[in-house]
Amino acid sequence: MTHFTKLTTAAALMLSTIAGSAWADGHAVSLTAGEEINMVLLPKFLGILVFDQANEGAQEAHAELGNTGDLLFVGPTPENSTAGQIEIMTTSATQGQGVVMISNNAGDQIVPSAVAAQAAGTRVVTWDSPIPSGEGEDVFVAQVDFGSMGIVMADMAHSILGGSGQMAVLSATPDASNQNAWIAAMEIALENEKYANIELVDIVYGDDQAEVSYNRALSLVDQYPDLGVIMSPTTVGIQAAAKAMQDEGLCDQVRVSGLGLPSEMVSYTMNGCAPEFALWDFRDLGYLTYYTAYGLASGQMTGDIGETFSAGRMGDFTIDEDPGRPGSARILMGPFTVYNSENVEAASN
Amino acid sequence: MLARIPPQTLRIFALLLVLFTVLLFFSTQVPNYLNGRLFNRISSSVAIMALIACGQTLVIITRNIDLSIGSIVGFVAFATGSLITNNPDIQPLVLATYSILLGACFGVINGLLVAYARIPSIIVTLGTMALFRSALVEYSDAKSITTNNLPTWLVEFPNTQLFNIGTFQFRAAFVVAVLVVIAVHIALTRLRPARKLYAVGSNPEAAEMAGINTKLVVFFAFCLAGALAGLAGFMFLARFGTITVVAGLGFELKSVASAVVGGVNIFGGSGTVIGALIGAILVDLIDMSLVRWQLVSEFWREAVLGTLILLSVAADAILMRRLIKLRVSREKKTTKSEVLS
Repeated sequence: MTHFTKLTTAAALMLSTIAGSAWADGHAVSLTAGEEINMVLLPKFLGILVFDQANEGAQEAHAELGNTGDLLFVGPTPENSTAGQIEIMTTSATQGQGVVMISNNAGDQIVPSAVAAQAAGTRVVTWDSPIPSGEGEDVFVAQVDFGSMGIVMADMAHSILGGSGQMAVLSATPDASNQNAWIAAMEIALENEKYANIELVDIVYGDDQAEVSYNRALSLVDQYPDLGVIMSPTTVGIQAAAKAMQDEGLCDQVRVSGLGLPSEMVSYTMNGCAPEFALWDFRDLGYLTYYTAYGLASGQMTGDIGETFSAGRMGDFTIDEDPGRPGSARILMGPFTVYNSENVEAASN
Repeated sequence: MLARIPPQTLRIFALLLVLFTVLLFFSTQVPNYLNGRLFNRISSSVAIMALIACGQTLVIITRNIDLSIGSIVGFVAFATGSLITNNPDIQPLVLATYSILLGACFGVINGLLVAYARIPSIIVTLGTMALFRSALVEYSDAKSITTNNLPTWLVEFPNTQLFNIGTFQFRAAFVVAVLVVIAVHIALTRLRPARKLYAVGSNPEAAEMAGINTKLVVFFAFCLAGALAGLAGFMFLARFGTITVVAGLGFELKSVASAVVGGVNIFGGSGTVIGALIGAILVDLIDMSLVRWQLVSEFWREAVLGTLILLSVAADAILMRRLIKLRVSREKKTTKSEVLS
């Protein structure tokens, strides 16, 4: 993957932080394989490619660590995401699962069931999307530093707009905690002088559904005749927006950027509708989450801030305090890849 | 003159009046609003919902409801996408027929359970909604259909401009949807077998007495709704290209809303598919305008949309009553003058 990785300044900084802290501590916990721990990997809902990729990563780690227990990949159906996640969390605790790894789509509504699960001895590790209040969560495995995510989005807008112009955000749902954190981080980043000529005109929500996102993107164009870029930090939104711009012949006028899957975005990147977008590797995220969860549930790790452990092929990681959620523990994965016409074709296969 | 217009037509006039009012209202609130673009946006987006609302109307007329229609759209969109991805040489008409037949198969399941197993439709379709959606999750294996694997003719079809009137573009998807709705409308008003839907819906016992096979009629309503949902799934695939397991989520309620706003009686027996089409346009127009109305925050939009739907149904009902009253008083006058002369 590294040979087509173009790191932004922010990502590079982030990397050095990870590396720095890992080396500073000196001794990383290395996990003993072969324990029997039953684990549950719980995505936002079933049927989405990135979550399946996370499962592949987790399965890889499962085999590598020789866990004699079961790794279950269970999730709610799309229309029942929030209630379904709470139900699976509750059931997992009752079944006495060792650990639940959840990409939280239920906001703080998951808290009571997560706290109950912890009380019953089940560890709760979040990945992709954390529990906003941090309650009921042992540790959050973050794909990227949410602050630097904001800088990367601002940077992509800056390069697409050539330094000045109007930008609008097309997000997922109004209560998706990861998207909201990234947008907030981007708004902070935009205050920097470098982006003085970039104006954030609106934030709309496409509910992570193709047709809603498609219509929202067009509404943005109609509403703001001078709009230059639509920033969509969700894989569904970015491709729906790019499709809408292409269908209406607006690609010369309005570009699309954000977070997208190379396989879905390749044609839009090549024809200039979405010249730049970013994403991290969900397999790696699943892999790292599994190592963390295994370490915690087998009692080999405490999950305290400052602890360093080694996660197989991915190297050493240190648990730090989440800057966005004071008091909560976080493991920062990073880095992510910025895709453009040079590297997107190779990544899409 | 009013006396000669049937109440169903009056209803459509009332609806158009509400539509016009909504347009006027938002044009004072939203900049760059009234133009050809708005027409193009609404017409392309309503093409899919028009077909679904039309199918939903057929079912509602028979005193039933189909909540599984969104899941059918999603499944058909995915299955059609996967078929054409693996066999890119399939002829357009063959592919569309496949979508329609697949949709009809789901309709057959609903129809059998409702008409012959005598289970209330709301329970049957609540169950099949989840069943069909789960089948899609299982069938898709977490893969998604992507635009670049689809043939060009399919992707370009919905946005092909057939003809223009000023800046109003009439695109293929919209024209097809409107033609289908008109065809169904003509069938419902002119064909004896189709008229049976109304007979069964307005009074099932009387229909039974009159020798109508009510079970068969209800069964057919569900099959047709499934077939229309299948066609909508085909259009959904063509328009959005990327299909995931959430495709068509929430369409069932939106289609019921469109039908009811369009004057279809939720208790069965009356309503037109033209009304449902205008209802779909109205719901879509309100939804799209609200996004652009800065006064309403994202968190309140759904609530405002709900309120506006209620208001437009109420306004439509009041207008209808007025128009009928007006007509009755005119009729009285004419009969009086006839008596006098």
